[in-house]
Amino acid sequence: MSATCDFQAKDYKSDLKPIWCPGCGDFSVVQGIYRALAAIGRPPHEIAFVSGIGCSSRIPGYTTAYGFNSVHGRALPIAQGIKLANPDLLVLAAGGDGDGFSIGGGHIAHLIRRNMDITYIVMDNQIYGLTKGQLSPTSQKGRVTCTSRFGSLEEPVNPLLYVLAYGAGFVAQASPTDLAGMAATIEEAIRYPGFAFVNIQSPCVTYGEEGQQIKGLKAISESLVAMGHNPADRLAAMDLAQQYGQKMHLGVFYRNPEPAPTYDGLVRERQALLSKDAPSPERILDLFIKK
Amino acid sequence: MRKDLVFGMAGSGGDGIVSAGDSLLQAAAAEGYHGVMTKSFGSQIRGGESSCRVRISTTPILNPGGNLDVAVALNWDDFLKFGAELPVSGNTVVIYEAATKIAEADIPLVGVTPLQVIAVPIAEMAKATAGTERAKNTVVLGLIAGWFGIGAVAVMKGIRKKLAKKGEELVEANQRAFDAGRAFAMEHPLKVSMNVAVSDTKGQVKLITDGNDMCAAAAIFAGCRFFGGYPITPSTEVMQFFTDHVWKYGGAVLQAEDEIAGIGAAVGASFAGKKSMTATSGPGLSLKSEMMGLASIAELPLVIVDVQRGGPSTGLPTKTEQSDLFAAAFSAHGDVIRPVLAPTSVADTFRITIEAFNIAEYYQTPVIVLSDQEIASRKETLDPIDTTQFKIINRQVPAAGDLVDYKRFKQTENHISPISHPGMLGGTYLASGIEHVESGAPTNSGSVHQRMNEKRTRKFDSLKERKDLFEVTGNPDAPIAIVAWGSVAGVCREALEMAQAEGINVKLMVPYLLYPVAEGAYNEFFHSVQKGLIVEQTHLAQTFKLLRMHIDLPKGVKSLARSGANPFLPGDIVAALHHLLSELQRSHEGQLQPQE
Repeated sequence: MSATCDFQAKDYKSDLKPIWCPGCGDFSVVQGIYRALAAIGRPPHEIAFVSGIGCSSRIPGYTTAYGFNSVHGRALPIAQGIKLANPDLLVLAAGGDGDGFSIGGGHIAHLIRRNMDITYIVMDNQIYGLTKGQLSPTSQKGRVTCTSRFGSLEEPVNPLLYVLAYGAGFVAQASPTDLAGMAATIEEAIRYPGFAFVNIQSPCVTYGEEGQQIKGLKAISESLVAMGHNPADRLAAMDLAQQYGQKMHLGVFYRNPEPAPTYDGLVRERQALLSKDAPSPERILDLFIKK
Repeated sequence: MRKDLVFGMAGSGGDGIVSAGDSLLQAAAAEGYHGVMTKSFGSQIRGGESSCRVRISTTPILNPGGNLDVAVALNWDDFLKFGAELPVSGNTVVIYEAATKIAEADIPLVGVTPLQVIAVPIAEMAKATAGTERAKNTVVLGLIAGWFGIGAVAVMKGIRKKLAKKGEELVEANQRAFDAGRAFAMEHPLKVSMNVAVSDTKGQVKLITDGNDMCAAAAIFAGCRFFGGYPITPSTEVMQFFTDHVWKYGGAVLQAEDEIAGIGAAVGASFAGKKSMTATSGPGLSLKSEMMGLASIAELPLVIVDVQRGGPSTGLPTKTEQSDLFAAAFSAHGDVIRPVLAPTSVADTFRITIEAFNIAEYYQTPVIVLSDQEIASRKETLDPIDTTQFKIINRQVPAAGDLVDYKRFKQTENHISPISHPGMLGGTYLASGIEHVESGAPTNSGSVHQRMNEKRTRKFDSLKERKDLFEVTGNPDAPIAIVAWGSVAGVCREALEMAQAEGINVKLMVPYLLYPVAEGAYNEFFHSVQKGLIVEQTHLAQTFKLLRMHIDLPKGVKSLARSGANPFLPGDIVAALHHLLSELQRSHEGQLQPQE
């Protein structure tokens, strides 16, 4: 880990102009990320920021970090490879609710059980925006979209409960309704030594319903700190997480007070232990000698 | 004295046939012989039928051999399930379990009269000497030592070492079983002696390994420090080798949650600057194709090992085939060139895997190593390899000057752009699956897409000029030709020797680079050719078709293709060459006849 320096939010902003619609919640999310990274102070070239596909997955390109805008649903596998190849890097992954909980939904459970030191930010807008307004895994039951003219027949995924159930060490929610709070939450997630998940309720101005816009979200938002929630209490966090879709609790649901060892940390230990008496790679064929 | 013997043995899963084959191979290596051992199973986890072939020779071996010289059947049901994998001829000595109660004249081999048939009370001897039928395989090893002169000392030395931890009693029981087998052989001499001569490399150190272990060892030698994968037969041992060894070299391995995550992590590790690899078989290759396309457009080095098995879908998971050629060349959508290399033996798997990393790193591309079940799981004895002769290529990183206003996908003369990685100051860029301009910024421009496609495909022009990725043997001006790759190449090398010994004017090309198709190398090779065979283990003649896509093959070049698990024997190829030769002679006679 290199020394941190004085960086400002603008140092993490790239020259690329976002493709997002005016008023998109993701503009606030990227601001929150700039601020969080500035607070942490790692230079941009020591950060790897990976995403999948979707409106929100364009986000790494809007930062000055090493970005990887990959394929749909696969930000997390790629992020794991980066972290294991170079554990010194600060590794961020981001994407939408479809990317994380539908096409890539199989990966998150495994990231959690491995406890890789990666921060995963999901911009949850309950809709597929880039493909112009289809049902997403977090869309409410009954939601009318262009692929559900007569209303959705399925229950939504609850992202918060999902990651809590698999044992994530850090679970939080944020929203553009409180930019300062979002930046602080992302910063805390990055600082957590292990897998950290932040669900961001980020409104889609084009395909979102009225209640999902800033005004509607504000009306159902409640600060977990103000409620007196104890973030060390996992069961209380799961209890609160059940209100996903009705209430928007902001802040840290759960932070493991005794963070478990990370996979990348254990890999380093194993490398150190086993490399002591390693034969040189030039002698690797000696393994096959039959005496 | 013989210079070469091919053993084929079959039994039920618990009979220890494969373990006997291992012991025989190791004993042969200890006595300085060259050896190859292949295994074949039903797809049952335990039990079911299992078999092995062991070929032992006084000179280097090109393939697992044709018809069996010695067939061992612990029961006939299991033996017969392997069909053409264990071919018995009129020159075969057949040894079988007397407890099957089948008379020597009535053994169920249709249409063939073996050289000699011997019923041996194998189970009874095991029981009597070791107290358990589990020692049947040791009795078999004793019979082999007695009749064929291999392993009289070395077999028991190996068994002693293997069982040392389990106690002297077990070792002694095995010794008695071995001695009983040997004594039986001495008391019942063969009609025709089949003892093998002393090897030309007696006393020299030998290595023994299989294709999967060799591939993984070569990768680590080439500098690979990350492996991401998912278990799949018959490639899993590649990952197992990494989990045993890569940590020692500061590397890491991830057994991922699925095939996609396995290659995804490897793509990520490559982006982060490490040489990385994944390994799979057909079904996994299908799942990985989107990620292979991503690595191509993001221009990230990566090696993908595909150990082919019978397909499509689950197909024949434990048997060999070459039918992933199209998938290896063409998987992933879009206009993509992805190099495909194929080893032909355990020994050259070392060189070809290193070559795959060198090509991946130099051209910044995913490369497929197209192995197959036979090479991957067969064991070969090898003479020591001098590793210092292999050159290792690393990706070109930006020079200090390139890092000012760095352009990751900069157009250059050879179409290869220096590549940075996270941690490198000044080198930040956006890697992406979306089309991008030179800086890496996304674009929708058709003209940029055209230019970038040109860059990503033209960069391989120099690869196609690599003559050292093609092996041509035989008379360079021969009118008759064979082309074969992968495990089939070894069969054709032996067929070439046999045909040349008969005076047939023939040559053989073994391509190690299958894709992109190097038109120049083939055109040069086919220049003299009037008749030829493209030999492959695919039902659809994929190699023949791939070549025809790129090359105007001479009219007389035909396909000799068959589905997997039906091995080619050198004799099959020679028979086909005879046919071509007579066609050639007829056409010449036709030309000589005066026109009416």
